[in-house]
Amino acid sequence: MTDSAMDHRISVDNLSLAYGAVSVLNALSLPILKGKITVLAGPNGCGKSTLLRAIRRLHRPSGGQVRLGDVDISTLNDRMLARQIGLLAQSPSAPDDMTVEELVRLGRYPHQSMMQPWSADDAAALDRAMAGTGVDHLRKRRLGSLSGGQLQRVWIAMVLAQETDVVCLDEPVNHLDMAHQLDCLDLVRQLNADFGRTVVLVLHDLNLAARYADRLVFLRDGAIAASGTPEELMTEATIARVFDVQSMVITDPVHGRPLCIPLRTQSSTIPA
Amino acid sequence: MPAALPFPVVWVGLVIALLAAMLMSLTLGFRLYGLDQVWQALFAFDGSETAVVISNLRLPRAVLAPLVGAGLAIAGVIVQTLSRNRIASPDTLGLNAGASLAVVVASTALGVGSLLGLSLSAALGALLTSFLVFAIAAGAGGLSPIRIVLIGVTIAGLGHSIVEIILTTNEAQLQQLLFWLSGSFVDRPMTLAQTGGPIILIGAALALVLHRALDALQADDSTATSLGVPLALVRGGSFVSVALLTGAAVSMAGPVTFVGLVVPHAARRLVGLRHARQIPAAALLGAIYATLADVAARFLIYPVEAPVGAITAVVGGVVLLVLLKRRAA
Repeated sequence: MTDSAMDHRISVDNLSLAYGAVSVLNALSLPILKGKITVLAGPNGCGKSTLLRAIRRLHRPSGGQVRLGDVDISTLNDRMLARQIGLLAQSPSAPDDMTVEELVRLGRYPHQSMMQPWSADDAAALDRAMAGTGVDHLRKRRLGSLSGGQLQRVWIAMVLAQETDVVCLDEPVNHLDMAHQLDCLDLVRQLNADFGRTVVLVLHDLNLAARYADRLVFLRDGAIAASGTPEELMTEATIARVFDVQSMVITDPVHGRPLCIPLRTQSSTIPA
Repeated sequence: MPAALPFPVVWVGLVIALLAAMLMSLTLGFRLYGLDQVWQALFAFDGSETAVVISNLRLPRAVLAPLVGAGLAIAGVIVQTLSRNRIASPDTLGLNAGASLAVVVASTALGVGSLLGLSLSAALGALLTSFLVFAIAAGAGGLSPIRIVLIGVTIAGLGHSIVEIILTTNEAQLQQLLFWLSGSFVDRPMTLAQTGGPIILIGAALALVLHRALDALQADDSTATSLGVPLALVRGGSFVSVALLTGAAVSMAGPVTFVGLVVPHAARRLVGLRHARQIPAAALLGAIYATLADVAARFLIYPVEAPVGAITAVVGGVVLLVLLKRRAA
């Protein structure tokens, strides 16, 4: 195996995907680097969520493949794949009267079977996931009694309990206020650092994306418009090309990351 | 509130309550019997009138009612999980309506008159209805929870209407069939338990095999799939289990409504949402509930017997209203 293949936890090769006659992804190729945080961003309808879900095989491609290491994921069975790639869906749901422990426990599903009931390993993974996300004290609480920020932490704990090398999160901070957005993404980065998990995130907010990404990928019209480090991608020209927005990019004086100040849409007829 | 009682206490308590309910079913009724008379009839049968009444009339009820209650309660748990809807039940899926329709058609059009024949018709009706709902839902673009319920409610309404049309034109048979249309444990022979009991056990075993997948299905489809749950397979298996449980229950007692709606709520309050606990708890609670309802049916309009289905429907209706009110609040 070559060095570069070792670094690529996941390779998306010539992936095409269509909903009926509507093509969503067009022969898209992308390496996902091992142990890094990759953020997918792009305008509405660009296919970023679809790509993330295809990486977890929630959608079947019409062409191309997604490889995990050397293996085409379409050849893996449900349980094997679920032990390798976890996904926190966009706006996931569970009954209000389910307890936190009952939900996080679901993350152990792919590690259990009729022959393998709940084991000490499962219990240890459950404890690690709850401690790692700081929800241990909520163990017996009902989901319906949690705040939005707590609930999102609990869902992340569930994905973490799955103990997959790769963790995909589809717009995990969508409905959270500013404090909880930061809290949640700091947690994701900490998990990436502490556990060496490969993380793939879909984020809407460009500045949050630039702040947390090791590698940023811009999609547009089902294809990759640009990919690279946040510094490489966050330029006024690239943002104009991908998002149709005129902007000013400055360096965030606190974190040293690029920060985009949107000025106006390119099609706007209203004077700035 | 989370379950405050330790689990061993809950399980032992439920088993003792079930045994007590079955003893009440044996001893209480138009005539009251002592425990000594029950003991004698069951274990030292002497051919006396008392012994005959107990072993031929009371014993089948004390066995059938818990079997039916357990089957319907487990079916209710699965239907509520599958549809992610806490007010769904085998009734909502149209299974009881399908069973009633099958009984009426078998009786009026095919001339089936025997108890066994009608009971098989009922089971077949429930099975066919569940596959019909399943097939329509799958064909209409996937087994989404809301679609399953909408199709079930439509089929139920359709079934009840056809039953009423047939019965309006066949008044002579109304009296004979009324018995099947409201559910009862009166005058059912033990043989029904011998055919229905094993089917209930198979349905319950299938549900228990699926318990972890059912846990995961309480979350949304994307989450369940990401966890590695084969959705179509689990939904198909669950439907088979519901069809077996409801079909067998209806074949033993006719449509005893609302048991499958009410009991799962009590089970979840007692032992939480994990199906490894929820299913056994619902089975025990359902058995207790149906047995006590059957005992109550003997005294409600004493000395005449009320149909047990009417009692479970009244209790269930009140509970449903409370649930809906709480949800709206």
